[in-house]
Amino acid sequence: MSWVQAASLVQGRGEEGDVFDEEADESLLVQREWRSHMQRRVKEGYRDGIDAGKALTLQQGFNQGYKEGAEVIINYGQLRGTLSALLSWCHLHDNSSALISKINNLLDAVGQCEEYVLKHLKSITPQPHVVDLLDSFQDMDLCHVVPAEKKIDEAKDERLCENNAEVNKNCSRSLNGVDCSSLESCRTQEHAHSENPSLTWILEQTASLVKQLGVSVDVLQHLKQL
Amino acid sequence: MAGSQDMFDAIVMADERFHEEGYQEGYEEGSNLGIIEGRQHGTLHGAKIGSEIGCYQGFAFAWRCLLHSSATERDSKKMKVVESLIGMIQKFPYDDPTYDKLHEDLDRIRGKFKQLCSLLNVQPDFKISAQGSGLSF
Repeated sequence: MSWVQAASLVQGRGEEGDVFDEEADESLLVQREWRSHMQRRVKEGYRDGIDAGKALTLQQGFNQGYKEGAEVIINYGQLRGTLSALLSWCHLHDNSSALISKINNLLDAVGQCEEYVLKHLKSITPQPHVVDLLDSFQDMDLCHVVPAEKKIDEAKDERLCENNAEVNKNCSRSLNGVDCSSLESCRTQEHAHSENPSLTWILEQTASLVKQLGVSVDVLQHLKQL
Repeated sequence: MAGSQDMFDAIVMADERFHEEGYQEGYEEGSNLGIIEGRQHGTLHGAKIGSEIGCYQGFAFAWRCLLHSSATERDSKKMKVVESLIGMIQKFPYDDPTYDKLHEDLDRIRGKFKQLCSLLNVQPDFKISAQGSGLSF
């Protein structure tokens, strides 16, 4: 709230010249009282504003996150459901325990992938959605959110600094996440799914497993969008 | 008299003005915080639904194919339930938290899924519990 300090500085300088000696102490006192009262009013306003702003966008953010979470995770659910179907089919047909334990391993791997993706979804905006998010921020007239670094640096209010630190933490975490996954995706030569490197591997393993089971590969047809 | 009234107004208005300026700044900050916080909670809830619905979907699609491909398993009753489950899932707007029949439809899908499992005589373990910790907050 740098402008509060600026405003009170200007006020203070103006008053200094006007002050008569005999009234100096009293007016200074009044002035200080006035300033602290106004600062209190600003803080009260700030708090009310935070609450009102939050109340307005909380649902919006929730809906946004909900859609993202559901859209990303449903793919992992589908893979898990497919593997579960194969597993139950194996149990019914008394397949070899080697294949059954392989399916179980793949199920575990999918679960791990899912958790990994979810953890990163929670703290970052997934790459394909950055543009969408920017658009919606602009629609809301909040476009300073993303290029906020400079503006926030200027702000001296403690709370803002705290928030800034949090945002930076999130940003660096997300950058690390992106770096890691793109590194790993280079290793697996799979750029399309940089959000999760080992998903390709799981899909390949699942495909070879289906062949071993002697089941038509059509069983994986619905997973093509993965 | 009029002069002192003006002064009084000025003081009251300054009070309002300072509050208003603080409010504006807080409002913007609060809006950003709301989006971030809301997103975090929303992602978790959306992921939970997506995970569950995806499981049913994958399971149903795979079983439809398995029932199709093996002549011995070809069973109109099983097939009918599979198709019905797939139909229900495809109609379910799983990514819309504002859908008013979300819980109602979800319960119906769960029921249909259980019916299918008992018809197929299988007990799939979706390991929902394993990721339960990751989904709670």
